Amino acid sequence: MAKGNEKKEAGSQIEKLADAPMEFVKDGRQFLSKCKKPDVKEYTKIVRAVGIGFVAVGIIGYAIKLVHIPIRYLIV
Amino acid sequence: MAGYRLVDIAKPFLPILPEIEISYEKVPFDDKIVYTICSGLIYLFGQFPLAAISKDEVRVQDPLYFLRGVFGAEPRTLMEFGLFPIISSGLILQLLAGMKFISVNFKLQQDRELFQSLTKLFALLQYFVLANIFIFSGYYGENLSIVQIGLLNLQLVGAGFFAILVSEIVDKGFGFASGTMTINTIVIATNLIADTFGVSQVTVDADGHKEAQGSVINLLQGMRSKHKTFLGGLVSAFNRDYLPNLSMTLIVLGIGATVCYLQSFRLELPIRSTKARGMNNVYPIRLLHIGGLSVTFSYVLLTIIHLLAFVLIQLVARNDPTSIICKVLGHYETVNNLLYVPSFPLSLLTPPRSFFSGLFQQPLTFAVYSGFMLFTGIWFADQWQAMSGTSARDIAAQFKEQGITLTGRREQSVAKELEKVVPVASTTGATLLALVTIVGEFLGLKGKAAGMVVGVATGFSLLELISLDYQQSGGQSALAQVLGAPGRF
Amino acid sequence: MSVTPPGGQRTLQKRRQAQNAKEKQLKQTPASTRQAGHGGSSSSILKIYTDEANGLRVDPLVVLFLAVAFIFSVVALHVIAKVTGKLF
Repeated sequence: MAKGNEKKEAGSQIEKLADAPMEFVKDGRQFLSKCKKPDVKEYTKIVRAVGIGFVAVGIIGYAIKLVHIPIRYLIV
Repeated sequence: MAGYRLVDIAKPFLPILPEIEISYEKVPFDDKIVYTICSGLIYLFGQFPLAAISKDEVRVQDPLYFLRGVFGAEPRTLMEFGLFPIISSGLILQLLAGMKFISVNFKLQQDRELFQSLTKLFALLQYFVLANIFIFSGYYGENLSIVQIGLLNLQLVGAGFFAILVSEIVDKGFGFASGTMTINTIVIATNLIADTFGVSQVTVDADGHKEAQGSVINLLQGMRSKHKTFLGGLVSAFNRDYLPNLSMTLIVLGIGATVCYLQSFRLELPIRSTKARGMNNVYPIRLLHIGGLSVTFSYVLLTIIHLLAFVLIQLVARNDPTSIICKVLGHYETVNNLLYVPSFPLSLLTPPRSFFSGLFQQPLTFAVYSGFMLFTGIWFADQWQAMSGTSARDIAAQFKEQGITLTGRREQSVAKELEKVVPVASTTGATLLALVTIVGEFLGLKGKAAGMVVGVATGFSLLELISLDYQQSGGQSALAQVLGAPGRF
Repeated sequence: MSVTPPGGQRTLQKRRQAQNAKEKQLKQTPASTRQAGHGGSSSSILKIYTDEANGLRVDPLVVLFLAVAFIFSVVALHVIAKVTGKLF
């Protein structure tokens, strides 16, 4: 009897361990399904904003890096 | 010793550690833009080749090549370690303090100051240790003279010191939000442009043929170059291994678009005012509640592991495949005369250099690396959301202060209701970001995928704060008017 | 020593008390600067330096200039190395 109990307990613990990721995935999916997703119009707006920002900052940054090229050429 | 705390280590250093002054008055919006951009540009300018490196052929190559994208680090320049020491010391010490391994009472001004100085000191120490690891590993050439070692130390630690201070300028309110993150985003954006449109010519083979760094420029050049056929140029533009190629650029752009899409996922909780009737609104909880920080943290851990391995393999065992350490940990193989690629056990945590070679040569990497990214990312997300001051409890307190409550809930149960949402949002967001990173890295992006994920996610967090700042300043910005883009923010 | 059966109201009370004490403790020891209400890192932003510690106070502009000067000193080092041939 006691042995059976032990077995059951051990089994339930393993089950719990296996359940944790399942529970996690379930919670995550539930959350995702409740989420508000962007529509096409909103999405294009976001992508454009981020794209312009990234490219603008990148070009300014790359301009500085271009300064390196002649300096490197002079000193190496 | 009883009563001696870790933060007390910083005490004797307090008088000599430089501190940026906080401005007495509010820094105007335009000044913030200027300070932020200047900090970023100075950092970029700091990616300047180190002097006093030996000119002979070096055997030891770059062991961290796939980790550099996340920390704005450039090999063999002043920013050899980039922002890694600052970010890692900030994240790790905050985690330790939040989990009560370091006792700090954040309510006391004195303790906060000590903690902050400790973070700075720890970052500086990391710069020093890393610099010497790299110097003595032979990465800058073997048989360096004492003068060279001294000069290299001076350059690397000095650069680290200024990186800390420059990021502190932005942190202290002269720029937007966070120094490390703004600088990081600027560097990632710059790298993206350099990888796509970069015109600098790099010698790629023994014959002295040169190719452009940027993938698009390379395509145009490859079609006209003499040593390649038209078709060969086209093919190599898409799959060259040593420099950015077009397929990489396309994947990176795809990753950016995916993160943009995920970023706008949000759960809108209906709220109403407890003071005025009929004031209904929504409070959004983002899917990416903790932004790109989870991926950053995973990469901090990954870097630490690889650095330790580098110390053991290169510094202790001299990368000798017959020594015991190399048999246990694996050794490095030089690829393209540019990279140091680890072999078996260590390669489990190294994303493959291309999808197919990875699939056939190191299939186990896929499982181990993904597991590592997912596990650390989720663990971090769970810890960070609870301690960062935007946990369910904090949001509930904030609601109470502003006289807001969730529609259909009593004020007391707001925290409980949020408790069901916020941790799930953080961990789910971290999982998805980790998955995007994993997919990108397995396609052979060598750290560019992680960099892009962090860059775009961080960019969003910053954009939000910047637009808030813009509105608070009443939309009065000469710069924004000059640029004619008030709607951009 | 009084003998009380396990469970019942007492246990409930005790539990509630323990819960309250735990919550109080949590409130009293914030885990981060922001939780203590003094700015700093938020959920998606890593902000490390927020307080003005009693150190060597420096002006931000001075630091920016010094940083540039530092980089140029490295450039100068390159030049010296090139001019003198093999100094190192």
